[in-house]
Amino acid sequence: MGPLASLMRKEFLQLRRDHAMLRLVLVLPIVQLLVLSYALDNDLRNVRVSVLDEDRTPLSRGIADALWESDVFVPGPPLASGDDLARSLKVGRCDLAVRIPAGLARDVAGNRSAAIGVHVDGTNSSTGGRAAGYAEAAIARAATGRDGRVGAVRFFYNPELESRLYMVPGIIVMIATIVSAMLTGMAIVREKELGTLEQVLVTPLGSLQYVAGKSAPYALIALVDLALATGFAAVWFHVPLAGSPLVLLAGVLAYLAVTLSLGLIASVVSDTQQQAMFTVWFFLVFAIMLSGFFFPIENMPPWARVLTWLDPMRFFLAIVRGVLLRGAGFGDLARDLLVLAGMGAASFTGAVLAFRRATS
Amino acid sequence: MSGEAVLARGLTRRFGRFTAVDGIDLAVAPGEIFGFLGANGAGKTTAIRMLCGLLPPTSGEATVAGIPVGRRAVELKQRIGYMSQRFSLYEDLTVRENLEFFGGVYGLSRHRIAARVAALLPYLGLAGTENRLTASLPLGYKQRLALGCALLHEPRVVFLDEPTGGVDPLARRRFWDLIYEQAAAGVTIFVTTHYMDEAEYCGRVSIMVQGRIVALDTPAGLKATTGGRDMQDVFLRLVDR
Ligand SMILES: Nc1ncnc2c1ncn2[C@@H]1O[C@H](COP(=O)(O)OP(=O)(O)O)[C@@H](O)[C@H]1O
Ligand SMILES: [Mg+2]
Repeated sequence: MGPLASLMRKEFLQLRRDHAMLRLVLVLPIVQLLVLSYALDNDLRNVRVSVLDEDRTPLSRGIADALWESDVFVPGPPLASGDDLARSLKVGRCDLAVRIPAGLARDVAGNRSAAIGVHVDGTNSSTGGRAAGYAEAAIARAATGRDGRVGAVRFFYNPELESRLYMVPGIIVMIATIVSAMLTGMAIVREKELGTLEQVLVTPLGSLQYVAGKSAPYALIALVDLALATGFAAVWFHVPLAGSPLVLLAGVLAYLAVTLSLGLIASVVSDTQQQAMFTVWFFLVFAIMLSGFFFPIENMPPWARVLTWLDPMRFFLAIVRGVLLRGAGFGDLARDLLVLAGMGAASFTGAVLAFRRATS
Repeated sequence: MSGEAVLARGLTRRFGRFTAVDGIDLAVAPGEIFGFLGANGAGKTTAIRMLCGLLPPTSGEATVAGIPVGRRAVELKQRIGYMSQRFSLYEDLTVRENLEFFGGVYGLSRHRIAARVAALLPYLGLAGTENRLTASLPLGYKQRLALGCALLHEPRVVFLDEPTGGVDPLARRRFWDLIYEQAAAGVTIFVTTHYMDEAEYCGRVSIMVQGRIVALDTPAGLKATTGGRDMQDVFLRLVDR
């Protein structure tokens, strides 16, 4: 058995004996997937709409009914005055308030322009904006008697615009990232703390062998976690695996090369496991925020959009969403795969060099 | 090239403004048991780590087993064994797994590992413990296992940093029997210790105070020049001076 194989065997033996860790690593990701998928579901529903009807005509009542009929809205408490409207929004008795001015029916009949006020609680800019959009559409439909079929928008790939379809791949990406970067982040520094690294350093084992041997077991764990999570997502959430598993695997391997190596670098530069943990978290937060998981990259300011090019998670997320939801192939994802492979090679080299520098 | 197993010339290591090892010179012959004595913090571990290539010297140079330290690191590592002051084998591996791991990373063939492990287990008095987790062994056993891991690849020079710290006299005696046998087989032993009775077992002894070697001779020679009754006495006279 060569030195590299001996090191890998040793890592697996140690892992196999660490039952607590194995349980954590194999069970927690599924729990995470379940809980987060439900928690991060940001489909609009149960938005409370209150109507201040100052017109009191069949038309104004029709508008209110139209709003409440939609799946998105539920009736909020009735409003007595403009002051009441402002107060209700402020204290959160309703999420959206519509003011129908007196004379609306008359103006509409006379083909004069009319202004219906839609007041939104914009605390959550994303849901607030979307709720306002739905409300305007419903009001326009009721007021003009035409439904919005003119210029209707059709959504592809995620026809119900179900947020879960969009979120689940993102959660899978996070699980892969956390498992791989955290475990390797602890890997070398733990041996430093125990003193076992010193004993390994007097052997002729090379830096490349050491880094490769240290990453291999964690790569396997991350692969198992990913397989579990993807399978679970398919069975439980009906997230389709629309594309080829091979494309997904290529992306996964390139991405793991990045995260495992960055974890090892954090481990090499740290003196304690706490330091390593903090370093990994620090970068993880950036990676998640810039990945487009929570905030669409198109909505970021230009400088932040440039930064996202440094974020491996951005490319991996694009690959996972692409393969799972759109059935994207090698051709469609060539750019993302290439960038990720480049990052993987660079970080692995970086890890080997960092280890060599720290130990000689 | 000299025939010395260990040769140091002006070997120095500073940590910031503090000098841990201050220009030490020494020469150790092949097959010698060389005792490296000194109070806590004298700089023994730092010196040994430099000789093993684990720590670059600030200045000075050293040759170990015929190889200049700092260059040709892989060759050096093949020729030396090192047992660190702190027990540093894997507690969550069995005795056999530890031996096999170190055999593997030293590049021994599978057959060679099997043969060495089979020979070392009874030799070290570890027969019957091979499938026990290392964590469950008494310290004396752990120390002999650590010696075994340092000897697997049959190094020419072995550095032992306080190899018998914290165990009873019987366990120390057993360990020293092993050291004698290795030296008789031609292995150079470079050993640090706190125990002055152990110093008597060494061929020659150096005494280190605050990073410097203040005396270097056979135990008998040291007693003659300092007028000490035993090594304990010699040590106190030299360190107090
Ligand atoms: N990495 C280090 N950084 C700073 N000081 C150190 C370092 N290693 C050792 N020292 C200092 O060098 C001195 C000698 O330590 P050491 O070689 O361990 O002594 P000994 O082994 O003789 O007890 C001590 O004062 C110790 O604090
Ligand atoms: Mg010491």
